[in-house]
Amino acid sequence: MGRAIVITSGKGGVGKTTTTANLGAALAQLGHSVVLVDADIGLRNLDVVMGLENRIVYHVVDAIRGKCTLAKALIKDRRIENLWLLPASQTDDKDAVTPEDMRSLIFELKATHDFVLIDCPAGIEQGFKNAIAGADEAVVVATPEVSSIRDADRVVGLLAAADVPARLIVNRISAALVKRGDMLSQADVIEILALEMLGAVPLDDQVIATTNKGVPAVLEGKGLAAKELIRIAKKLAGHPVEDAESVGFFTRIGRALGLSASPA
Amino acid sequence: MWNDIKSFFTGKSSRDVAKGRLHLVLAHDRSGLEGGRLQEMRAEIAAVIAKYVPIDAEAVEIQIETRSRQTQLTVSSAIQPRNA
Repeated sequence: MGRAIVITSGKGGVGKTTTTANLGAALAQLGHSVVLVDADIGLRNLDVVMGLENRIVYHVVDAIRGKCTLAKALIKDRRIENLWLLPASQTDDKDAVTPEDMRSLIFELKATHDFVLIDCPAGIEQGFKNAIAGADEAVVVATPEVSSIRDADRVVGLLAAADVPARLIVNRISAALVKRGDMLSQADVIEILALEMLGAVPLDDQVIATTNKGVPAVLEGKGLAAKELIRIAKKLAGHPVEDAESVGFFTRIGRALGLSASPA
Repeated sequence: MWNDIKSFFTGKSSRDVAKGRLHLVLAHDRSGLEGGRLQEMRAEIAAVIAKYVPIDAEAVEIQIETRSRQTQLTVSSAIQPRNA
């Protein structure tokens, strides 16, 4: 039986979909079988972030309504073994499915895959309730900003009430801005939200460039964000990982000499 | 170090300001209590205390704060000396 993990944030635009795509691709690269579920019915985006938008025939609502089998609605990623996407419907709205529908759908997917990653829509209404219904655990994504952390806190409360254990990813952190005193550090965010931390993904141009092409950054393996996302995927799957604080040799020397940024 | 120099001259960094604002806004969000309502409550509590002990009702302070997901409400008031 696999694990269902919902990726959620409350606020929109903090990187839920990009995080889902990258964690999914990284987990598949590690040899796990993964299905990504786009739970953002009516505003689907995981398909374009994955670069699979031209291959959609059926979607999650079709599968739930029995218009096709669940297996038929899954799109296999041809770039990596063991990675599938279950796209959302773009023409229905959030109440086209119920939490019960989602619960049985996710349960079915868990029987055949190691990981079911659910990309949650922004907000805390019906779409959120549907997305967390079948989840065993949650990853809360927050950027180091007041608005994002406030919304994340609300979501953490709702997840706790629904008995879904949550861990945190701080996204788009800039060590330079933290050092300058113009950005909350990952330690600040953890202190405020009092959540276990999975990782802190640095702000990285590479993510924008690879997303433009419909390729998860971890598949190209370039950049600091990709590196951290792979580390987080390993941590999620229970593989041994090096400490988040561990850094390169030259950075360490630089730090010892007081030349470079201390850990954010 | 540059940070320390800067905050020495300009006061708090924007990071510190963000942190302070978050602690406050989350305390309000978690308790479901709006800032304005908190001040109304302060006035009512001050009136109740004043019935029992001599205080300066205007100087009563009310504070709501969150640490590690625990939200705490603190009301503090100085009692005036009896023969004042």
